Amino acid sequence: MAGIPAVGKGRGHGTMVQIVNGLVYGSFLYVLAVGLVLIFGLRRVTNFAHGSFFMLGAYVSYAAAAHLGFWTGMVVSVAVLALLGVLLDRFVFRPLAGEEPIVSLLVTFGLLFVLEDAVRTIWGKDFISVAAPEALAGSVTMFGSQFPVYRLFVIAVAVVVALALALWLRSTRVGLYVRASSVDPVTTGMQGVDTDRLSALVVAIGTGLAGLSGTIAGPLMALSPSMGAYIIIDCFIVVVTGGLTSFAGAFVAALVIGQFHNLGLVYVPEIASVIPLLIMGAVLGLRPQGLAGQGR
Amino acid sequence: MKDSRRVMIVLGLSAVAVSAALATSAWAAKEPLKIGVPTALTGTYAQLGDEAKRAVEFAVNEANAAGGVDGRKVEVRFLDTEAKPELARQQAEKLALEGYNIMTATIASGEVLAIGPMLNRWNALYVATINKANDITGKQCQRRLFRVNRPDYSDAAAIQPWLATRSEGKWAIVAADTAWGRNSGESFGKAAAATGKTIVSENYPPFGSNDYAAHIQKVLDSGAQGMWVALAGRDAITFARQAKQFGLFDKVVTGGVSFTTDGTVKVLGDIAKGIHTIINYSSTLDTPANRKFVADWAKAYPDDAPTNFQGETYIGMQVIFQAVRKAGSVKPADVAKAMSGGTFETILGTQRMRKEDNQLVGPNFFGVVESTKGKLQPVVKLTVPAEAATPVDDSCKF
Repeated sequence: MAGIPAVGKGRGHGTMVQIVNGLVYGSFLYVLAVGLVLIFGLRRVTNFAHGSFFMLGAYVSYAAAAHLGFWTGMVVSVAVLALLGVLLDRFVFRPLAGEEPIVSLLVTFGLLFVLEDAVRTIWGKDFISVAAPEALAGSVTMFGSQFPVYRLFVIAVAVVVALALALWLRSTRVGLYVRASSVDPVTTGMQGVDTDRLSALVVAIGTGLAGLSGTIAGPLMALSPSMGAYIIIDCFIVVVTGGLTSFAGAFVAALVIGQFHNLGLVYVPEIASVIPLLIMGAVLGLRPQGLAGQGR
Repeated sequence: MKDSRRVMIVLGLSAVAVSAALATSAWAAKEPLKIGVPTALTGTYAQLGDEAKRAVEFAVNEANAAGGVDGRKVEVRFLDTEAKPELARQQAEKLALEGYNIMTATIASGEVLAIGPMLNRWNALYVATINKANDITGKQCQRRLFRVNRPDYSDAAAIQPWLATRSEGKWAIVAADTAWGRNSGESFGKAAAATGKTIVSENYPPFGSNDYAAHIQKVLDSGAQGMWVALAGRDAITFARQAKQFGLFDKVVTGGVSFTTDGTVKVLGDIAKGIHTIINYSSTLDTPANRKFVADWAKAYPDDAPTNFQGETYIGMQVIFQAVRKAGSVKPADVAKAMSGGTFETILGTQRMRKEDNQLVGPNFFGVVESTKGKLQPVVKLTVPAEAATPVDDSCKF
């Protein structure tokens, strides 16, 4: 705790570190947002409970990690959330498929409160702070500054998720069905694709990714039953800006929004919190279908 | 023998029933004291709201067990505000309309500033217990708005002696972009100027931020040797965790307000060790009244000690109860009259509710987070006497 004078950094170096910080936030947003994109693509449902699944993922991971370690906790969280995704699809999305979109939207909104209350009952209201796993707890020197390894890990997770999804969607038959179903679920079904089974799989992957993002959020932010509410708005902005059903669009939108949001905090802090909204407004003004949306 | 035992049991039960009936009839004869608590039960300040709720419940149970207040049963109703000013205003109005018009224990200053101007219209009264924004008993003071805790400007009197002992010349501020956070930054800036320190970086991250990396890096790049932090609840924990990852606490000496409270220290553990802090109340304060309060609290909540926010909230309840007794009424206008300029026995000693600005004049403390008796907690190192700690804010014009 001694007052060791900090070494002043050159402005250029400081900016470079801030760009990496923006990359971290963008990466984190992507892992969470792409789950929403998957679910919206297949089920045409705006899953309001996605933030709660993210929160639940963080708590499940925390509970499992306490006994089994961070990495196993991550696997458990993804598995539990994926299983919940299957149940969500089977008992919520599928029965409501023929209803107006507002019905599913309201049901997922209600689910948000149920999940928050369930977590509050099980783990209590007190905030929880989670340490990074030992292997990622250190820091590296980057542009003359000490930079946490854990933050680089967040970027790596986003890259792996993006590559894995791209590979799956572009190189496998199921991926082809998913892409086809995202564009036109009715015609895809008419071609003999079992869209219900496909939906269960896709929703499971979507909620599993919420579990993954909840896990990686643990060492970054305080766990609380309402933590999903703090991130879900930025997440929806990413999805809309990216083009609703576009995986590549979500990736680009997340990185752009993460970057401008972070640089905004540094250079124009007075308006930083509205920068994501301004970006979304600008993109929709120029391209109403979003960055990579196909329009209808 | 059996018959006499049966008679004794019947007599005993009758006695209990009669006393209960008498108590109920005594309570029924007088209008109950209805206390409304619009507080943060969810959101960024949920843990703080929960702490305040427990303290109110403790005070209410204690009062009712002792026969009520002024012979009246004390009733309480809690409504969630999520620490959002507009929602707080709506919930407070709802409470006032339902008769719970003596209110207290809201968390964010912005909420109180939203409630304050409406008190006359609602025929209500509010006692701030945690809220530190200067305007509450300053520019936006109201005759029915009172405060028992220390405002931001009074913290300067506790910060200044500490800053004078520090050799670090360059300081950074990280404070919530709220009325309270801005006030705290301002108070620290004044204390820094008075002690010849320079502020090299000022940061006001939005309330409920997820990522503080931009601000942490700015502090690191500024060459600051010390840092003042005014973040609370979830914001405090998220910031501290991320600052630790960047090694910020190893590079700058850190002090703050509401940052390393009893509650956050419990969550953060060793990360909080060595951080200097304003302490508005501590369970370790050695006064007879506080010792009794802490002992009674431990009986109600085994293995637990009241936190700073719980101590402050309990003081608010003490002041309300004594004002109701003095007024012999639960009408907000009568209670406000009894409260203004009154003297109250609190767990921090006898304190006066200054009639010029409705601010309770009490002491303030400064300390550091360290281990005592095997427990990591904020420990008082400096006490500022009541009059010096709570100077008059002459911007209050009723």
